Amino acid sequence: MARVTSWLLRASPVFVLLAIWAGVADAHVINPFLLPPVEQVVLRLGQDVASGDFFVNAGLTLARSLAGFALACGIGIPAGVLIARGRVLRWFCEPLVSVGFPMPKIAFLPVFMLWFGVYDLSKVIMVAFAAVFTVVVAAEAGTRGVDRFLLWSARGLGASPFAMLREVVWPAAMPSFLTGMQIALPMSLITAVSAEMLMGGEGLGGAMLSAGQYADSVGVYAGIVETSLVGLVAVAGMTRLRRRLLRWHPEFNPR
Amino acid sequence: MRALLAYLPLAIVALLWEATSRLGLISAHVLPSFSAVIEALWQLARGGDLLANGEASLGRSLLGFGLALACGTALGAGMALVPWVRSAVDPIVQIFYPLPKSALIPLVLVWFGIGDASKVFLVFLGCLLPMILSTYNGLRGVDPLLGWSARSLGASRLEVIAEVLFPAALPQLLTGVRTTIAFMFLLMVASELVIASNGLGFMIGSFGDQGSYAEMFAVILLVTALGFLADRGFLLLSDRLLRWRA
Amino acid sequence: MIGIEIEAVSHGYRARAGAGMVALDNINLSIPANQFHALLGPSGCGKSTLLFLIGGFQTLQQGRIRTARGAVTGPGPDRGIVFQNFALFPWKTVMENVRYGLEKKGVRGAEAEQRAKHFIDLVHLTGFERSYPSQLSGGMQQRAAIARTLAIDPDILLMDEPFGALDAQTRRIMQEELLSIWRATQKTVVFVTHDVAEAVFLADEISVMSARPGRISRRVQADFNRSSDKNVHKRADFAEMVETVWEMVRSEVDEARGH
Repeated sequence: MARVTSWLLRASPVFVLLAIWAGVADAHVINPFLLPPVEQVVLRLGQDVASGDFFVNAGLTLARSLAGFALACGIGIPAGVLIARGRVLRWFCEPLVSVGFPMPKIAFLPVFMLWFGVYDLSKVIMVAFAAVFTVVVAAEAGTRGVDRFLLWSARGLGASPFAMLREVVWPAAMPSFLTGMQIALPMSLITAVSAEMLMGGEGLGGAMLSAGQYADSVGVYAGIVETSLVGLVAVAGMTRLRRRLLRWHPEFNPR
Repeated sequence: MRALLAYLPLAIVALLWEATSRLGLISAHVLPSFSAVIEALWQLARGGDLLANGEASLGRSLLGFGLALACGTALGAGMALVPWVRSAVDPIVQIFYPLPKSALIPLVLVWFGIGDASKVFLVFLGCLLPMILSTYNGLRGVDPLLGWSARSLGASRLEVIAEVLFPAALPQLLTGVRTTIAFMFLLMVASELVIASNGLGFMIGSFGDQGSYAEMFAVILLVTALGFLADRGFLLLSDRLLRWRA
Repeated sequence: MIGIEIEAVSHGYRARAGAGMVALDNINLSIPANQFHALLGPSGCGKSTLLFLIGGFQTLQQGRIRTARGAVTGPGPDRGIVFQNFALFPWKTVMENVRYGLEKKGVRGAEAEQRAKHFIDLVHLTGFERSYPSQLSGGMQQRAAIARTLAIDPDILLMDEPFGALDAQTRRIMQEELLSIWRATQKTVVFVTHDVAEAVFLADEISVMSARPGRISRRVQADFNRSSDKNVHKRADFAEMVETVWEMVRSEVDEARGH
């Protein structure tokens, strides 16, 4: 019972927003083209789910995001760790990362389209490119931030350098890795949706762009809701993962 | 001197780029040589195209950014200081937080068509949320004892807000602005790749379509440089304003 | 002359689990003007809460608190406060911090500068007027905080474990300096601490408090703060009193633990 109430409480913003939306649309203050009535959007959502379109589009977008995200983590975390531990590598990569970090990476999409074609591969690479900088920075900071007293203790207890990396550095830096990943995941979604909009075709981004181009405002709103849902699920999933992997951390064990 | 050494890797990358192109390792079709890109950039700058499009892009984006800065700070402050504002705005913030901002592109397309207004509004919407959040978190995170000290020294509640809360929250506020600047560039390019008839993002897209890859890379390079310079410039400003930090 | 009159004050908090917690239970205390009064007790006995109520930072739930200026309804420059974590405005220099209260009172320009300088000198921070708090050591920051509060010439000085964040050596020095300032300015001081020796050294009167619920269990008179003896700490009668008071505190701690 308590869980249901707490869930209801947390979901209450949605209800409030829906109420405001219904109210404004009803009052006919805004052109129904610009702000279609809630019922129409809900209806369209239902149609998308029933026809399977929602699952196809959401699935594609999610798949591309996750693939790019995984690629970014697979490259970024080891790279970050290595950069933290190697002076020359750090010197070389620092300007590259500090230029790359504020860069609007979506500007490179035409480049990736040129190199990797117009299908899934270019989208996945684009997502990976966008996310990797965040992951590298977080991984590097996390590795550098490992309390040296932890390392000295481990050394004193006889751990080999490789064992230290695996058994001390990795878990100690994990919170930072996960924070970087938590920022990179929504970033991956944004990039995937943007790439799809640019390249058209299937996926949430492509569907929304078509709707926009055909002046299908109900479709656009439905697309926004669907994308939000996917975003929400992804973020919630990541939070769950963090809690699971960091069960031992003071963050989840308050005094 | 140290700055030169720090940025040397970029020069090395440029050299490698030039070398691989000259040596024919990568076809000029896929990756024009670094020198070709620089040449193209130079020609574009001379032609005046770059300036005109640059002005259009930056003009729109800065307008949206400025509006987001003003509204976001006001709303965030309202949320932090006035309970009913928080209850009113919170649902909206909660809903739109996980929404990828580029999902709003078709929406502004529907509302405003392909003209300037849609891009200004998009940048405004996209930058609004990070500003609200960092203002809210910054103000809430201020040590309450600072406010108490000020009150016991004779400050009124309004003076506490203006003279204590905002200066104390400034570090976090500035970090929020830095993130917002990056968002601005992102949305500028993304929107112009999709719905524009002019601007730097539009140039990238249309050069790509035409097959003028040297020009395409040139504008990408320019946009990257702009984003980098804006970030650095802002960091310098921040450091100035936060001189008092440890 | 009444310094502070505390009548039937009770205060509670609602803990998250639903059960309430009584922080203060029917506190009655009369502090004469110009007295150095210590509130001594273990953690959780409500001593800081009482201090914050006197300062007007928390709203009274039950009872009354009065000073010579009338009932306490909110914070004010007649009751200056010094916190354990200094609470200096980090973006202001020492001079700007100390001037703050003066400017609130309407003192401007050269006069404010002069008056602030007087207090900065008083706490031995001469030369550091243009330094930022982040550039100062803990002890120096606390001096600056004290100067800032003294500058507005409050009737009452409230201090919440002000030396708790300092190392033992600095703490001793600060205690001695505080005493000399108090003797020179003759303000009413309410000083919260959990350090028995500190209370015995500094106070005219000590209220020993018990925890859960917070009550004043014992009141002890002392006069070691009037002695000009530099080696007060070594004296037998000083050590004896510290032991006696410590026993009082210990029995409260034991009671709180349920022994």
